[in-house]
Amino acid sequence: MKKKQIAITLGVMCFILTMSIAIQIRTVTSSNSTASQSLINNGLRDEVLRWKERYDNAYQELLESEKQLTQIREKATQNNTTANAKQEQIKENNMLLGTVEVKGGGLEIMLADNNAAATNLIDPSMVLVHYDDLLQVVNALNNAGAEAISINGQRVITTTAITCEGNVIKVNGEKISSPFTIKAIGSQGLLLGAMTMAGGYLDNLESWGVIVNVKTVDDITVEKYNGIINYKYVKNK
Amino acid sequence: MIFIAIVVGCILGAIIGIYAPMVPYTYSGYLAIAIIAALDSVFGGIASTLNKQFDLKIFVSGFFGNAILSMLLTYLGQKLNVDIYLAAIVVFVGRMFNNLAIIRRYYLEKWTNCKEKLKTEKTEQ
Repeated sequence: MKKKQIAITLGVMCFILTMSIAIQIRTVTSSNSTASQSLINNGLRDEVLRWKERYDNAYQELLESEKQLTQIREKATQNNTTANAKQEQIKENNMLLGTVEVKGGGLEIMLADNNAAATNLIDPSMVLVHYDDLLQVVNALNNAGAEAISINGQRVITTTAITCEGNVIKVNGEKISSPFTIKAIGSQGLLLGAMTMAGGYLDNLESWGVIVNVKTVDDITVEKYNGIINYKYVKNK
Repeated sequence: MIFIAIVVGCILGAIIGIYAPMVPYTYSGYLAIAIIAALDSVFGGIASTLNKQFDLKIFVSGFFGNAILSMLLTYLGQKLNVDIYLAAIVVFVGRMFNNLAIIRRYYLEKWTNCKEKLKTEKTEQ
């Protein structure tokens, strides 16, 4: 009887210990922080991760209050035709600004670094995806009449900059890296033709050795812009 | 029986831990210090079993008490802007090494005794 009791308590304690270790390991790997030998490095990284978590929480709150705002607006304008029209206008403007998620038929382009080829080359620059490749592709998509474009979840809006920051590419100030998934909504035939035509930019990229994959998707979701559009110098006339 | 219970507990804990929700990064420091405290208790328990002084009550209270106390001290340290968790780590890890040394010596002695026994038996033959 006593042995049984001891066995059960020890089992439960081992259970708690291994469970907490597994949870801790998963938490640490998900925030990809490996303990460095230097105390200052550790402290700084700790701070950054904490701020990031706080930012994520605040952003979550913002999303919720935005949802509430639209609900309240809808309720307030239910029985008022002029207000209803205004409401529709706001919705459309938000769609044009890129601050809401949009759906439609379009194209999905996948660009990726050709790592297998890069190891065999002295200068692997040819087979990697650079920021100007993304710029060219976005430009070609716009030229073909794309109505909404996103790169790895970053919506391309009027103020979007695509810049090179050393090893990574920044879109809307957010770091992204290969593989790049570019989603575009527009006329599928036009977009596909413009992107895959012989001598087009994707054709060039493919001949250089970059991994390119284009496919049409009937129901594609382009993410919303998740920053805040804030004009300081532009004024209404 | 005890051994089976420990193995089953470890496997179950690992499986559930993989699928359990993650802890927010702010609190992962507390969990880490609690894990260190609990590990210290486990090694202490093994060492006391070898010395035949094992007491389940002391073991269980040390396991949970140390973990909770170390978390509270870490929290207090954060409020007072003193890195108390460093002291906790030093104490726990120091004790862990002590207990590991006791375990190592016990098994080393056993091993050498066994060897000598075999030797004497051979010479007698």
